[in-house]
Amino acid sequence: MAEAVTVEGLEKRYGRVEALRGISLSVKRGEIFGLLGANGAGKTTLIRILVGLARPTAGSVSVLGFDPNREAAALRRQVGFMPQSPALYLDLSTRANVAFFGAAHPHENSGRRVEEIIDFVALRERAHDPVHTLSGGMKQRVSLGCALFHKPALLLLDEPTAGVDPPLREIFWKHFRDLAASGATIVVSTHQLDEALACDRLAVMRDGAVLACDSPAGLLRRGRTTVRVKCGDAIEEARIESTPEALAAHLKHAGLSPEVASVELVADTLETIVLDLVRRGGAP
Amino acid sequence: MIADRIRRTRAVGGRVMVQLVRDHRFLALALLVPVAVVYLLHVFLGSVNSPFFDPARFAVPLGAFIVHFLTYVLTAIVLVRERTGETLPRMFACGYRQGEIITGYLTAYTALASVQSLIVLAELAWLFELDYPWTKFLSIALVIWLLAVISMSLGILVSNFARTEGQVLPFVPAVIIPSIFLSGVVIPPENLPAWARVLGWFTPLFHADAVLVPLLKSGGSMADAGWSLAGLPCYGVAVLALASLTLRERD
Ligand SMILES: Nc1ncnc2c1ncn2[C@@H]1O[C@H](COP(=O)(O)OP(=O)(O)OP(=O)(O)O)[C@@H](O)[C@H]1O
Ligand SMILES: [Mg+2]
Repeated sequence: MAEAVTVEGLEKRYGRVEALRGISLSVKRGEIFGLLGANGAGKTTLIRILVGLARPTAGSVSVLGFDPNREAAALRRQVGFMPQSPALYLDLSTRANVAFFGAAHPHENSGRRVEEIIDFVALRERAHDPVHTLSGGMKQRVSLGCALFHKPALLLLDEPTAGVDPPLREIFWKHFRDLAASGATIVVSTHQLDEALACDRLAVMRDGAVLACDSPAGLLRRGRTTVRVKCGDAIEEARIESTPEALAAHLKHAGLSPEVASVELVADTLETIVLDLVRRGGAP
Repeated sequence: MIADRIRRTRAVGGRVMVQLVRDHRFLALALLVPVAVVYLLHVFLGSVNSPFFDPARFAVPLGAFIVHFLTYVLTAIVLVRERTGETLPRMFACGYRQGEIITGYLTAYTALASVQSLIVLAELAWLFELDYPWTKFLSIALVIWLLAVISMSLGILVSNFARTEGQVLPFVPAVIIPSIFLSGVVIPPENLPAWARVLGWFTPLFHADAVLVPLLKSGGSMADAGWSLAGLPCYGVAVLALASLTLRERD
């Protein structure tokens, strides 16, 4: 089975709020799949459904071949979930938190695994301190550590780098890529476009719907390039597809006379593309 | 399978126990408040000037009530805090099950409730100069202890209906006030209208008093309670089952 996650026509309603309105997507094994969307887009709701913490109102869900509603126990042995809020026992130490959440899973040497995790999230010095004395980013590290204890095949990370500084964010993403390289599938939600670029594929979400689901390169291809040709005093501007072929065709049309002094290319950034998608509600 | 369940239950119990022992303020409150309240009770009952009034007849049931009240409220609040802090959904997502979480909590809090019951009973015995045989003390301790365990289950049950710690507050009088009036602490339940007596069955204190009142009569023993003896355990099993059925995992 090549798909780690398959979701079809997924709807979730909370009273009158439609958190998800018929989402369909699939995540391949071993890929880093991003969920990109503004506040209230439905990222957390989707992730909670995938780990069986919320019941879909309609639609079908399959995670690692299991139904998260009916086969939660078997599924959860292979899933690591990092909630959006740190969700830790603030009065307990890093070590105690990792040990407690880890104890849910059988392990032949759990003591050693706890120490491995502490080193992995680089908190050896603070391992004994109560979590409420740690900084926000350190708490996120503890929370990530708790999700990794049992070497899950699928990681569901809800805004893992919220409140994490850029150097540490880099380190987190290096971890994610290492984990993916070792065969794990990662579903990660984010507001940050630079993080979205680091995903293999991503779903752009708004108001409970998926507007686009593509690789970052594929999304970038949806953007256009502005070409400004300066010829004598005149500046001619055109918007063309962001491909080398389109550029060649355009320049052929402009004719490369000796008067052409400069050719300037301004490609749409992922930010413009995503903002444009969101503004138009996904219509091409 | 069974080994996994035992490991997870022990993990929950151990974790809650560590949290209890670490939280000095909570621990002090949980143990000192009953001591202070029982003393006030002594002052209060001692001021009743009537030759027909036997303070001891009220002291033990009211002492039981104090343990019931405290364990019930503390458990409800601690569990709601697990939900608002999202550690409860995280436990579920890790693979902990309802029954394991509840049993783990019960083991840790039962230790606390046992200490609480013993302190309250010792203080009652000293202040009210109770000179019961030790078997009678043992029976009273057993009833108070069972009541404490049931109060915890009731706290867990109620925590399901509150989304914030503040929402626990309305449930406190909802359980406690009928307890006082309907359980027989103040008036014998036989004097109540039938509907109120039926309502009284739903309070754990009713079942505790059904055993305590005959037991406290001079020369009385557990056996005097007859069929009422079954009330407390049955009520406990029912509330526990209900609590683990309703400990919401999905929304
Ligand atoms: N338990 C709940 N009860 C009622 N409404 C809810 C609940 N959980 C989510 N919602 C609603 O569902 C919608 C989607 O919320 P969700 O938390 O999934 O968004 P999100 O994409 O994770 O946002 P954020 O970036 O702010 O974390 C919102 O309108 C929210 O108000
Ligand atoms: Mg969210």
